[in-house]
Amino acid sequence: MITAIIRGKVALAIKLVLVAIVTAVLLTLSQSAFAKGEYAIAGFLFIAILLINFTYFSKRTVPLKFFLPGILLLTAFVLTPILYTLVMSTFNYKTGNYISKEEAIGRIQALALEPDENASVFDIVVGEYQGSPAILVSDINNNAYFISTPDQRFPVSNAAITADEYGVARSAPEFTPLESGDISSSKAAKERYYFDGTYFIAVENLNAGAVFRQSLEYLPQQDVFRSLITGDIYRDNNNGNYANENDKAEILEPGWRDPTWFSNYIRLFNDERVRNPLISVFIWTMVFATLTVLTQFSFGLLLALALNKPIRGRRIYRSILVLPYAMPSVMSILIWGGMFNTEFGAINEILGRDIAWFQDPTFARAAVILVNLWLGFPYFYLVSSGALQAIPSELLEAAAIDGANARQIFRKVTLPLLLQILSPLLIASFAFNFNNFNLIYLLTGGGPRNQLDGEIAGATDILISYTYQIAFGNNLQDLGLASAISVLIFFLVASISLYGVRKSKVLESFS
Amino acid sequence: MKKKFFKGFAVAAAVALGAGLAVTPAQAANEIVVWADETRGPNLVKTLAAKSDWVPGYKVTVKSFANFDALKDAIDKATATTGPDIVVGANDWVATLAKNGKLAPLTLTASQRARFSSSQFYDLSYKKKLYGIPVDVNNVAMIYNTKLVSSAPKTFGDMVDYYKANKASKNLKAGLCVAGGGMSWGAHSVFSALGADAYYFNSNGTINKSKSFNPNEFGANVKKFLLDGKKSNGFFPATDTGCKDNFLAGTVPFAIIGNWEWEDYKAKGFTMNLMPVPGATASNPGKAFGSVSGALLTTFAASNGVEAAAKSLLVDFFGSTAGQVAYQKFEKRPPAEKGAASDASVTDGQKGFGASANAASIPQVGAILNGASGSKSYWDSAPAYWTAVLVDGKDAVAEAKKLATIWRNNLRGAANDI
Repeated sequence: MITAIIRGKVALAIKLVLVAIVTAVLLTLSQSAFAKGEYAIAGFLFIAILLINFTYFSKRTVPLKFFLPGILLLTAFVLTPILYTLVMSTFNYKTGNYISKEEAIGRIQALALEPDENASVFDIVVGEYQGSPAILVSDINNNAYFISTPDQRFPVSNAAITADEYGVARSAPEFTPLESGDISSSKAAKERYYFDGTYFIAVENLNAGAVFRQSLEYLPQQDVFRSLITGDIYRDNNNGNYANENDKAEILEPGWRDPTWFSNYIRLFNDERVRNPLISVFIWTMVFATLTVLTQFSFGLLLALALNKPIRGRRIYRSILVLPYAMPSVMSILIWGGMFNTEFGAINEILGRDIAWFQDPTFARAAVILVNLWLGFPYFYLVSSGALQAIPSELLEAAAIDGANARQIFRKVTLPLLLQILSPLLIASFAFNFNNFNLIYLLTGGGPRNQLDGEIAGATDILISYTYQIAFGNNLQDLGLASAISVLIFFLVASISLYGVRKSKVLESFS
Repeated sequence: MKKKFFKGFAVAAAVALGAGLAVTPAQAANEIVVWADETRGPNLVKTLAAKSDWVPGYKVTVKSFANFDALKDAIDKATATTGPDIVVGANDWVATLAKNGKLAPLTLTASQRARFSSSQFYDLSYKKKLYGIPVDVNNVAMIYNTKLVSSAPKTFGDMVDYYKANKASKNLKAGLCVAGGGMSWGAHSVFSALGADAYYFNSNGTINKSKSFNPNEFGANVKKFLLDGKKSNGFFPATDTGCKDNFLAGTVPFAIIGNWEWEDYKAKGFTMNLMPVPGATASNPGKAFGSVSGALLTTFAASNGVEAAAKSLLVDFFGSTAGQVAYQKFEKRPPAEKGAASDASVTDGQKGFGASANAASIPQVGAILNGASGSKSYWDSAPAYWTAVLVDGKDAVAEAKKLATIWRNNLRGAANDI
């Protein structure tokens, strides 16, 4: 009965409604992305709409009906970030080099305004004079008034103007003021009005105009800026800035995101300020991930073995042991952070010591491993318990009959079988802990690091937290370099995982 | 099949268009968009609801963000089509945002500049261009507990002597601690009191680009007042953890507190015993950062066609006595504008911190403090000094020399930007 309904017109109606809703949402997002200039996102969403409609209203693509959501999500949230990171790693994307070259040229031109000696600012009224955009200027200090158009300046006698109580001219013959609400978006607001040939008046706000001269001009043919005051030439330095030909260190701001190809990768090896911390962080990351997996697995297995035997209260013990896994890890980490506090922490209270856990590199690393053991052992306890149940008891009995003692049975039979079953999980755990950002960030913040000696990487920084430090850790961000390190991490984790998977031959069962 | 596909797509597209067209956010031609954080945003909305015609012919729309970090994140990611015309933010955003081409400069008349203390413009300037209007003052001052201390200390040594004499009998947990602003921003007045200002000024008010503190003198003061041999004497903790609670509980006699949290102290019965941190000598009190929050003009105002109007809003609302009085009625921070600061409606708390700032303060110059030419910024190196000396027991003078080198190099690195 239900099948009949679902297969009939009702099914078509349900499908139509669902696809319509999904299409509506995606089209809305696509339109919004398009309106905000995010054309790549808009394009992707539009293609997704077409694919969804084609797939679910066509009989040719039955398998795709199951795969399409996964493919789209994988593309949006896995492949695209990887590709974006890869692309960004080839750019000098950092503080001072955020915008496009076109935007940067516009900003440099807008900033290249030099005020006159007195930084003169006049009260103005924006309007029209003899069919041209114009401003009525009140030079109150000198009790003088004039009208400026982009090309000329016309004196206006005091008698001809109508002034307000502060002496600011509000109207003059042949001058038509603009309504306040029309000024900002009008052509008149963007004009440069004649002042004295060298300087001009720019509309500063609705009631004021400031005297400036242009100090730099852009020459598009040569793609250079020329100083109108010194004659210096500023040329594209192929690193996202215009630099003075005579003094390369003098650059114009802002810069732009410029492709620098492999320079970020070269820095990883050539720049000792990047290379040295990177090496030490890499070594600690390997140690941390390895020790974490070893300690978590060993402890989890130990408990699993202990509770594999029929003892009184086994169920209660099992429930208690799973509790750390059930707690949100963020909470656990913060609680442990408090327990390790030097002055008020429970651990120092128990030990009766004053250990500065997070100030000393060795203690901080020990604390990190200990907390991670707490967070991770229940998982290995659970999987080890399951794996132990899966080992055929005949094998153990056979070994016992052959005269093996308990230790030999564990070493020669149980452990090898367990490792064969759990290898994929151990590799996955290693890869996860290689990038265990939460633990490091919340517990130690990567520290301790000796700031006064200029240390960039902290003693407990792992590659991912070090990358975060470079990308967002302070006011000067270097997203390009951080992307290069991220790509490096990606290949490292992928290589290690692939090696581990091949060694353990876990994929053989899928072939 | 084709017929079915197109029929399905047509229905779906029709629904989608209906939904899509209903949400087309676009900035109106005569609309000025202001972004602010979770407290300033709603307070601006209230202010503008009471009087909306600050810029005739223009509507001001305020968008509030969940917190200050969310606002910073949003302005960092803003583009010409999504960004605001004005953002009310921290002064130390100016250097970075200007460097990234997100801020546009504005020019004030002499009378408009005169409404503010000239040092406040340092906070909002980068490469000699002004990018915003000072809105409210953020500063710290030292408060002392009159139940413990009968009169204001005259020198740093007075406070240390009091602590040593009463530590055991009054169960004091520290002598002086930083409750507001952290161990870099909030603790500058302690650095300064002991002889280490982040930077110094010439007599004409400009920054002295070659002077830095004397590490021998500063290190000697740290040894004299804060150490007992190589270990901390307990007078000044290296972290701000627990400071506020301890002060309110009466176990710390002196604390550096922020003006934004004054109401908490008032609620506990504390009165306005505010003062600068006394110096090693009576005539040299420690200078606290007297920074301002700013209403900053963005480059997006020009692309939205409202640059002139946005500048008018900055000058006529954010930078005027009437505007700041109206706004601070809700925001309750010390107004930056002189007329508003002296207005009768400004509370004692607002005025008290303002008076302390006038007695001894130093403008917060982002180009120097955020810079890392010396390998670390002021913000990273300052707390590291306290940790190195007071926790790790490293030599106060040797570490002070490292600190001086970092600050000196940061000053040199910023020389062209200030």
